[in-house]
Amino acid sequence: MTELAYPLAVMLFPGGLFAIALGLALKGADRRLAARLQGRVGPPLMQPFYDLVKLARKRTMAPDIAALPVFLGAPLVGAISMMLGAAMVPIPGVYAPDPILGDLLVLLYLLAVPAVVLMVAGSASGSPFGAIGFSREMALMLAYEGPLVLVVAAVALRTGSFSLADIVAYQQAHGSFLFDPVMWPALAAFIAFYPANLGIVPFDIPEAETEVLEGPLLEYSGPALGLFKLMSALKAVVVLSLGIALFFPLAPEGLPGLVAHLAKLLVLMLLGVTVVRVSMGRMRIDQAFFFFLKWPLVLSVLSLAAVALA
Amino acid sequence: MIAEAPLDSSLLAWLGAIILLVGETVALLALRNLAALIAVSTVAEIGYLLLAVGVGGATGDTGAWMHLGYQAVMRGLMVFTAWWLIRRTGSASLDALTGSGRRMPIASTLFGFALFSVMGLSPFKGSYSKFLILYAALEGGHWLLAAAGTLASIIAAFYYLRVIQRVCLEPPLEPRELNAEPWWLAFPIAPLAALTVVMSLWPEPFLRLAAEGAGALDLGRVPEFESPWSLLVLVPYVGGFALYIVGLHTRLMRELNAVLLAGLTLVLAVVGNGLDPASHLFAVLFAGIGFLVVLYSWGYMAHEGHGNRYTFFLFLMIGSMLGLATAHEFGNFYVFWELMTWTSYFLVIHEQTPKALRAGFIYFVMCAGGAYVMNFGILLTHAQVGSFEFAHIAAEAGNIDPAAGMVIALCFLVGFAVKAGFVPLHAWLPLAHPEAPSSISAPLSGILTKAGIFGLVKVLFVIFGATQLARFAQSGVDVGTLITVLGCLTLIYGEVMALLQKELKRMLAYSTLAQIGEIAAILGLGSSLATTASLLHVTNHAVMKTLLFFAAGAFILQSGRRQIADLAGLGRRMPFTAGCYALATVAIMGLPPFSGFVSKFLMITAAAADGRVDVAALILVGSVIAAFYYLRIVRLLFFHPYEGPLVEEAPLTMRVAIGTLAALIVAGGIAPQLQLDAVAAVGNMVAAAGSLPPVELPNLTLIWPAATLIATLGALVVWLVGKNSVVVAGRLAITVVAASFVAVLLQADRYDSLSFAFALLVSGVGTLNMAYATGYMAHGHAQARFYAAFTLMMAGLMGMAGSHDFFNFFAFWELMSSWALYVALVHEETNDARREAFKYFIFNTVGASFMFLGIAMFGTGAGSFEFKAVALAAPEMSTPWFGGALVLVFIGMLMKAAMLPVRIDYQMHPATAPTPVSGYISAVLLKSGPYGVLKLFALFGGATLLNRLGVIQGMPAVMDAVAIIGGVTVLYAGAMAVVQNGIKRLLIYSTVCQLGYITMALALGTTLGVAGGLMHFVNHMMVKDLLFLCAGAIMVASHAKTLDELGGLGRKMPITFAIFLFAGLSLAGIPPLNGFSSKWLIYQASFQSGHYVLGIFALIGSLFTLAAVLKFAHAAFMGAPGQAAEHAEEAPAIMLVPMMLLTAGCFVVGMMPGVLLVPIAAIQQQLGLTPIAATWMGPLPGTGGWHPGVLSVLLLVLGSVSWLYLRLGRAGAPIIRSPIHLCGVGTLSPAVANTGALNLYESADAAIRGALHAKYDTGYDPDEPSDHVEANPA
Repeated sequence: MTELAYPLAVMLFPGGLFAIALGLALKGADRRLAARLQGRVGPPLMQPFYDLVKLARKRTMAPDIAALPVFLGAPLVGAISMMLGAAMVPIPGVYAPDPILGDLLVLLYLLAVPAVVLMVAGSASGSPFGAIGFSREMALMLAYEGPLVLVVAAVALRTGSFSLADIVAYQQAHGSFLFDPVMWPALAAFIAFYPANLGIVPFDIPEAETEVLEGPLLEYSGPALGLFKLMSALKAVVVLSLGIALFFPLAPEGLPGLVAHLAKLLVLMLLGVTVVRVSMGRMRIDQAFFFFLKWPLVLSVLSLAAVALA
Repeated sequence: MIAEAPLDSSLLAWLGAIILLVGETVALLALRNLAALIAVSTVAEIGYLLLAVGVGGATGDTGAWMHLGYQAVMRGLMVFTAWWLIRRTGSASLDALTGSGRRMPIASTLFGFALFSVMGLSPFKGSYSKFLILYAALEGGHWLLAAAGTLASIIAAFYYLRVIQRVCLEPPLEPRELNAEPWWLAFPIAPLAALTVVMSLWPEPFLRLAAEGAGALDLGRVPEFESPWSLLVLVPYVGGFALYIVGLHTRLMRELNAVLLAGLTLVLAVVGNGLDPASHLFAVLFAGIGFLVVLYSWGYMAHEGHGNRYTFFLFLMIGSMLGLATAHEFGNFYVFWELMTWTSYFLVIHEQTPKALRAGFIYFVMCAGGAYVMNFGILLTHAQVGSFEFAHIAAEAGNIDPAAGMVIALCFLVGFAVKAGFVPLHAWLPLAHPEAPSSISAPLSGILTKAGIFGLVKVLFVIFGATQLARFAQSGVDVGTLITVLGCLTLIYGEVMALLQKELKRMLAYSTLAQIGEIAAILGLGSSLATTASLLHVTNHAVMKTLLFFAAGAFILQSGRRQIADLAGLGRRMPFTAGCYALATVAIMGLPPFSGFVSKFLMITAAAADGRVDVAALILVGSVIAAFYYLRIVRLLFFHPYEGPLVEEAPLTMRVAIGTLAALIVAGGIAPQLQLDAVAAVGNMVAAAGSLPPVELPNLTLIWPAATLIATLGALVVWLVGKNSVVVAGRLAITVVAASFVAVLLQADRYDSLSFAFALLVSGVGTLNMAYATGYMAHGHAQARFYAAFTLMMAGLMGMAGSHDFFNFFAFWELMSSWALYVALVHEETNDARREAFKYFIFNTVGASFMFLGIAMFGTGAGSFEFKAVALAAPEMSTPWFGGALVLVFIGMLMKAAMLPVRIDYQMHPATAPTPVSGYISAVLLKSGPYGVLKLFALFGGATLLNRLGVIQGMPAVMDAVAIIGGVTVLYAGAMAVVQNGIKRLLIYSTVCQLGYITMALALGTTLGVAGGLMHFVNHMMVKDLLFLCAGAIMVASHAKTLDELGGLGRKMPITFAIFLFAGLSLAGIPPLNGFSSKWLIYQASFQSGHYVLGIFALIGSLFTLAAVLKFAHAAFMGAPGQAAEHAEEAPAIMLVPMMLLTAGCFVVGMMPGVLLVPIAAIQQQLGLTPIAATWMGPLPGTGGWHPGVLSVLLLVLGSVSWLYLRLGRAGAPIIRSPIHLCGVGTLSPAVANTGALNLYESADAAIRGALHAKYDTGYDPDEPSDHVEANPA
C-alpha cells in the first residue's frame, strides 16, 4: 500500500465523496420507498442532494443563548467522523482499510461520535427540547452500547482479531457468520442495535418530531443542519457496511464485489430501515431502555458465551 | 525440734495462720469502730507469732522475736495515738474520727506514721520481721502458710489504708467540739515514736538482739535485706528533704533548686556509672521525665497549695524509681518498689478531693497487694537460691525447681502487672490518672507504669532469661505467653474504653492501658528483637504520653476544660501547647516522621519475626481504634471555631517542658539511632541471658531524597512565612515544588525509571496545581497551612518514589496519606469537610494497616527491608507467608486507589477538600496505589515468581484477582459517576473508575497491558487534573457545589468550557484524543491476554464516563443560563495558565503517543518486561498500527473542507441570533426552561440507582453554607 492510499480512501473512495454520494442515494431510495409504502408519491431519488444544496445557501442561525462554537462545531465533527468511518469499513473483495486508520475498536468509538455530537448539539443549543433529546440519546446509548460491545467482542473472539480486514478474511475462509448458528444470537442482537444507532423508528426517541420537535436538531438550520443530514446519511452507510462486514462479507473480487456490496446495502436499507420505520410505532424512552437491557443484552451475552464455549 | 515433732509445730503454724486470716477478716469487718479494729488486728497479729514459732528454725524463731519486739513498739504507738484521738473526739467510730488530720494534725500524723509502720510498708520496717517469718515458712517448704501470711498482709493493708485516709487525710464529716487534751498520753507516745524511727532506720541491732533471743547464732542464714543507697538515689532523696526546708521560706528558690537538683539527677543517671544497659536505660528515662515533670510543675503547681509537700514527694518518688532501676539485689528492689508506691500515692491524692482519695486508695491497695505477692516470689527465690543478688540468682537460676520457678515467675508477674496496669489488674489506672494533678498523671503513665515493664524485663528476661522461663513453663504456665495474652487483652480493652471516654485525661489513661498492652504483647514474645522493640516503645510512649498529659494539664489549667467536647477551637488560643499535643497525637498514632512510627514499625516487625501475625494484626486493629479517638481531639482543637472567654498560653516552664518533649518526638523519628542503640543493648542482654542470637535491627533511618527534603523543609518554611504574608508563602510554595521537580531531575540516578517518571509527574503536576491553588485560594483562610500540607503530601509521594527499601517506602506512604493529607482535606473547616476528611483518614489508616502487616512479613521473611534483599529472599519464603504478605500489601494499595467496590463512598477522597488538592489527589496521589502494584510486580520478577501462588489460565492468581477487582470497579464507579449531582463527587467517582482501568491494565502484567496502564496513568493524570481545575474554576466563579445550581456557564467562561469539553471527551475515550489511545491499548491488552470480560467491562466503562462527562458539561456549561452564571467570570490567568499547559500536554500526547510510549518502553525494559515497540513519532503499537496523529490530521483536512460548506450560506453575513423556540410561549424563565442535571438520563439514572442502591447524595450537607464563600472576592 502506498503512502497516498489511505488519504485517498478517506477523501474519495470508499470514504469521502463516494460515501457521501452513496449515503445520500440510499437516503433517497429510503424516502421514496417509504412514501410508496405510505401511499404517497414521494420525492425524487435525488432529493437528499437537492436538500444539501438548498441548505448550503441559507444563512446560519443560532439561538441567542447557545454556546456558539460548540453549537456550530458539533455537526462539523459529526460529519467528518463519519466520512472517516466510511473509510474504515472494508468492502469485501474490493477494499481493505489500512490498519493505520484503526481497527474495529476505533470504529466502535468513532460510531459513538455522531450520537455524542447530537447530544452536545442539543445541549449547546440551550433549548429545552434539545436537552430532552440529549438526555434521551444518552439513555438510549447507555442501553444499546452494551449489547453492541458484546457483539463486537463475540465476533473478535471468534476470529481472534479486532481488524475488520481479518474478520472479513476469516469469514471468507470459514464461511459467513450469517450461516453459523453459534453467531446467531450475536446477529440478532446486532439487528436490535442498528435501528437505535441510526435513530429510526421505533428508536427515534431523541429526535421524535411529534414529541420534542426533532430534539437536538430543532434549533438548526442552513449548512449546519445540512451537515447533520450528511452525517446521518453517512452513518447509515457505515453501520450497514459494518453489519455486512461482521456477518455476511462473502463477495467476489473486483467490480462484481463492489456491485454485490451496493446491492447488499440497498437491500438492507430498504428492508432493514425503510420497512421497519414505516411499519412500527415509536417506543417511549423507558420502554426502549429496558428493552435493550432485556433482549439484546441477553442475546449478546449468550453470543459471547456461545463463542467462548465453541 | 522440728524434726522431732513436725506435726505439732505444723499444727501450731496452721493455727497461727487461721487466727491470722480470720482475725484480719474480722478486723476488716470492724472497720466502723477504730477501737474494735485495733483490738481485733492485735489479736490477729498473734497469729503471726504462732505461725513463726510453728514454722520454727533459726529464721522463724528470730522472726518471731523480732516481730514481737517491733509490734510491741509500733503497735504501742498506734494504740496510744489512737487513744489520744478517741479521747479528744469522744467517740471511737470511724465516722466521728474522720477528719482528725484537720483537727489534730500532730497526733494524726503520728497515728498515720504508726499505722504505716505496723503495716510494714517500706520504709517503715514493721515488715522486716514479717519478711523473716514468711521467709522461714518458705525455707521450710510451707508455701501455703507463707501464702496465707501474704494474703493476710493484703487484707490488713486494705483496712489500714482506709483508716489512714479517713482519719488523717479526709475532711471532717461534721464539725465537732474536741475534748481536753489527755496530756499524760504524751509520755508513752513520745518515746515509742522515737523508738519506731530508730527501729526503722537501723534494724540490724534489733535483728541481732532477736537472733540472740531466739538462740540462733547463725546469722548468715538470715537474708540480707538491704544494701547501701547509691548517689543517684541519695541526691533526690536528700534533695527532697532539703527542698522541703527551703520551700518553707521561699517558693522561687525551691523551684529553682528543684530544677537544678532534678537536672543533677539526670546528669548522674546519664553518666550512669557501672549500670547495666537495662538499668541505665530506665534510670535515664525516669530521671529525664522526672526532670521535665519538675520543670512543668513549676508553672502548673504555682497556684496550688501544699507545694512543699508536693515537691517533697515528687523528689522522693523520682529517687525511689531511680533506686528501683539501679538496684542490683532484691532487697533494695523491693524497698524502692514500695517507696515508689507510697510516694506516688501521696502525689495522686495531692488535691485531697473525695474522688482523688478514692482513686488513691484503690491505687495504693492494689499496688501494695501486688507488691506483697511479688515479695512472696522474692522470698521464694531466696529460699531456692540463697541470695538476693541479681548476679547470683542469674547464675543459679538453673538450679531452681521448675514448679517453684513457675510460682516465682507468676508472683513477679502479678506484682509488675498491677503496676503496669495489665487487664484485669488495671482498675487503679483509669481512676488515678484523671484525679491526680496533670503533672503527676504524666509520670504516672509515662514512667510509673513503665516500672512494671522494667520489672518484667529485668527480672524475668534478664535475670532468669528465656531459657529458664521455658524450663519453668514446663510446669504448666508459660509466663511469656501469659504476658502476651494479657497484653493483647489490655490493648483491646484500653483502646475500646478510650474510645468511649468523654473526659480528656480519662481517655489518655485508657490509651496508656492500650499502649502498655502493645508493649506487653510484644515483650511477652521473649525474643531479643521483641524486647528491643517493646523497650523502644516504652521510651517513646513515655515521652509521648507525658507530653499529652502535660498538654492536657495546660488546657485544664488555662481554660478549666476537662471534657473532650469542650476543647473545641482551643488550638487557636493555645497554638503552641495544642500544636505539640497534635504532634504527640500524630506520633502516638504511629505516623511518620515521628518517634512513635519507628517503635510501632519495630514492634510489628518483631511480632512478624516471631511468626505472630495475629499479635501484629491485633496491634494494628488497636491503632485504627486509636486513630478514631486521637484524631477526634485534634479535629476539635484546630478545626472547630473557639467560643468562650479569652484563654492564654500556658506559663513558660510548662511550654519549655512540652516543647522539649515535642523535640524528642521529632528527633526520635528522624534520628532514632541513639535510642535504638540503647534499647538494642538491653535486647542483647536478654539474648545473652536466654542464649538467643543477638538483636539484628533493621535499618530504621529515613533516607530523604533531595526532592523530599526540599519539599519537607519548604513546607515548614512556607507555613512559617505564611504567618506574615500569605502572598509570599504562596509564591514560595510554587517555588518549593518547582525546586523539588528540579531536584528529582538532578538526582535522576537514585530512582529507577518507573519511580523517576512518577516523581517527575508528582512534582511537575504538583507545581501546576500549586500555582492554580494560589489563584483559587487567593481570598481563603489559613492559606499557608494549606500550602504547607499540600507540599508535604508531595514530599511523601516523592520520598516514596525515591525509596529503596520497604521501611522508607511505607514511612513516606504514611507521610503522604495520613496527617498531611488530613490537614489539606479538612481545610474548609465546615461540618462536611470535618466529617469527610475524618472518614477518609480512618479509611487510609485501615488501608495502611494492611500494607504495614504485609511489609513486616516481607521484611522478616527476608531478614531485611531492602527491596533487593526481599526480592532475592522471596523464592525461599514459604508460599503462605509470601502470598499472605503480597495479598496484604496489594489490599493496602488497592484501597488507596479506592478499588474494592464494597463501599466506594467510604474509600473515595472527599469532595469537600479544596479543589486544587482534590484534583491532585484524583490525578496524582491515588496513583500511588497502581504505582505500588507495578513496583511490587516488577520487584518480584513479574509473573515468574508470582506463579507460585497458583495459576489460572496462565496468569498468576493474585494478579488476576487484582485485575478483576480493577475491572469490577471500572463498571461500578463508572455507573455511580453517571448518577452523581455533586460537582466534585461526579469527578471523584469517575476518578475511581479510571483508576480501575489503570489497576486492571497493570495487573494484566503483559507488555501491552502495562504499557496501556502506564499511558493511561499519565493521560488520566493530566485529563482528570484538568477536569478538576475546570470544576474549581466553576466553583470559584459560581459558589456552587452541585450541578443543579449551574447552567449556561459556557458563554461566560469559554476557555474553561473548551478545556473541559476537550478533557472530558478525551477521558471518555473518544478517538483520536489522548485518552482514547491509552484506553485502546487497555482494550487490546485485555482481549489479547484472554480477559474478554474485563475488556468488555473496560469498553462499557467508557460509555459511563461519556455519560457522566456530558452530563457535567450540559449541566454546567450549556443549557439555559442559571442564576449562578449571572456574575460568573473567566478564571484568572494564574489558574488558566496551568490548565492550558496541561491541555497542551494532552494534545501533544494525543498526536504523538510515542512521547509517552518511548519512556514507557524504557521503564518496561527496566522492570524486566518485554518493552513495547514504540518510536517517538510512530503509531500506537499493538496488533494494528493505528496512529492517532494520522487520524487527527485526516480529520483536520476533512474538517476544513466541511467548514467551507458551513461557511457557504453566510457569505460574510453575520450569524443570526434568535431566541430559542418554545412553541410560542415567551414567558418561561430560564430556570423553568432549563433541564438540570437531576432530570437527565431518567430511565438510565433510575436503573443505575436501583441496581447499585445509590442515594441522592452530593457529598454535602444541604443546610451547610457554601465552602467557597471565603474563596471569592465578591
